[in-house]
Amino acid sequence: MSASLVIARHEVRRLIVQPWSWGLMAAAVALLAYQFLIALDRFLQLAPKLAAAPDGAGATDIVAASMFSAYANLLLFLVPLLSMRTIAGERRQHSLTLLLAAGVGNGAIVFGKWLGVMAWLVLLTALVALMPLSLVAGTALDLGRVGAALLGLVLQAGLLAAIGVMASAWTAQPALAAAVAIAINLFLTLVDAGARLQGVSNGAINWLAVTSHIEPPFRGIVASVDIAYFVILGAVALALAANRLDALRSAD
Amino acid sequence: MLNLRRAVVECKTDAARHAGLPPQRRNGNNPAPVTAPDDIADAAPLLQLTDLSRRLAGREVVRGVNLALARGEVLGLLGVNGAGKSTTLRMIAGVLAPTSGSVRIDGDDLYDDPSIARRRIGYLPERAPLHPELTVAEYLRFCARLRGLANAEATTAVAREIERCDLGDVRRRLIGQLSKGYQQRVGIAQALLHAPPLIVLDEPASGLDPVQAIRMRELVRSLRANHAVLLSTHLLAEAEAGCDRIAILHRGELRHAMIVQPGETARLEQLFLRIASDVALPAEPHA
Repeated sequence: MSASLVIARHEVRRLIVQPWSWGLMAAAVALLAYQFLIALDRFLQLAPKLAAAPDGAGATDIVAASMFSAYANLLLFLVPLLSMRTIAGERRQHSLTLLLAAGVGNGAIVFGKWLGVMAWLVLLTALVALMPLSLVAGTALDLGRVGAALLGLVLQAGLLAAIGVMASAWTAQPALAAAVAIAINLFLTLVDAGARLQGVSNGAINWLAVTSHIEPPFRGIVASVDIAYFVILGAVALALAANRLDALRSAD
Repeated sequence: MLNLRRAVVECKTDAARHAGLPPQRRNGNNPAPVTAPDDIADAAPLLQLTDLSRRLAGREVVRGVNLALARGEVLGLLGVNGAGKSTTLRMIAGVLAPTSGSVRIDGDDLYDDPSIARRRIGYLPERAPLHPELTVAEYLRFCARLRGLANAEATTAVAREIERCDLGDVRRRLIGQLSKGYQQRVGIAQALLHAPPLIVLDEPASGLDPVQAIRMRELVRSLRANHAVLLSTHLLAEAEAGCDRIAILHRGELRHAMIVQPGETARLEQLFLRIASDVALPAEPHA
């Protein structure tokens, strides 16, 4: 565990000292800020009508929820870019041996890498959360619902980071790792699209889709089935990454 | 340690040959305690390889290597490219598990408890495993913490190795901007931080200019006092200048192990060339 924390802190440091990670964060925040302003504009236009309806949607539905779902979609592409170097990059610059020769277990290495990526993603999620939360000053925001959505987003980020680290362990080319991770993420997003079209929304294939587990938190529902989904799939991805690292020990 | 040096052992076949070890220690089950006092540890080999073999991609890269190394010794593993030096060193460093055979550090099997590598082995691979985006001090600090040193210990260790490896001028520079010689020194510093009894250096002088190579040799020699050093090279001169003993590896087999003695350069060179070019060895007059 302590080795994982050392590796995680090192990963964060390596992200901090490199301009591209700040550029990536800035681009993500800018993109979401733009979406936030559009959603806010729409809300202000609709506000008089909404106020007249007895059960009308509020700022939480229109501004926060739409922004968070945009963020969830952005994560599908952003996390692979962030995690692609974790192991593949080390292999390419021949520094993975440092970790392999340090007497640290494969699981601890993979977990540390994941933790480092997560620290960055939690910081980004906090920055993103500030935008809708800034509305608290002027309107009544459903904070419980915002909290549930943020929890869902962190869980989703955790799963995607685990997938990213796994893809990064599979190949020595970071770009290829990102492509593989994006493909897996899109698969997990779209896998139940056909079933939904047929009206099936409760089958095993729906359980597999990441969308069916991120929507409940956006509606304010925190269910153990959704949390379990993210934790189980994330743990499987990290276990596969550790397994792959074991095979890498024998490679040159 | 003296008994390790007493005889030149000639190895001409792939059969098990223990380099200079007395017979009673050949089974590799030496139960030397981890915390043995120096005099006892000196008597028992720090590193003991027993029938070490490794297959990679269906080819037997290392075959039945037996070798022992005591504290205070510098052993040079000599061989042409592709002789299996790096694979052997990777196994000793705890990175690559052997297909068969064992690596024992102070009597403990490395692959029964891989965490032994954390504090007892320092390893510089063929390419120094550096993070170019970090400064020298930042990188070394991470390495120290990774090896399980506490915060304060890590600070002391980093300062000590920066001093010893002559990195004071560049400690705040980014590793990626350093010359190859400095980078290699950072790689060595990384292997010394946790003061491991066994130091494994894979071609430490490769890519260095002659001046840097001499300084590297001096550094390795200075390590002899407190550590056992195992280094690989394909240059006979380098092995001869820096090592107490030389083991010649060819096609994955240990072919010859001997103590370096002054004035034997010509004979050694001939021997190495014969082994390297697969010429049958003549009978050696040595007893």
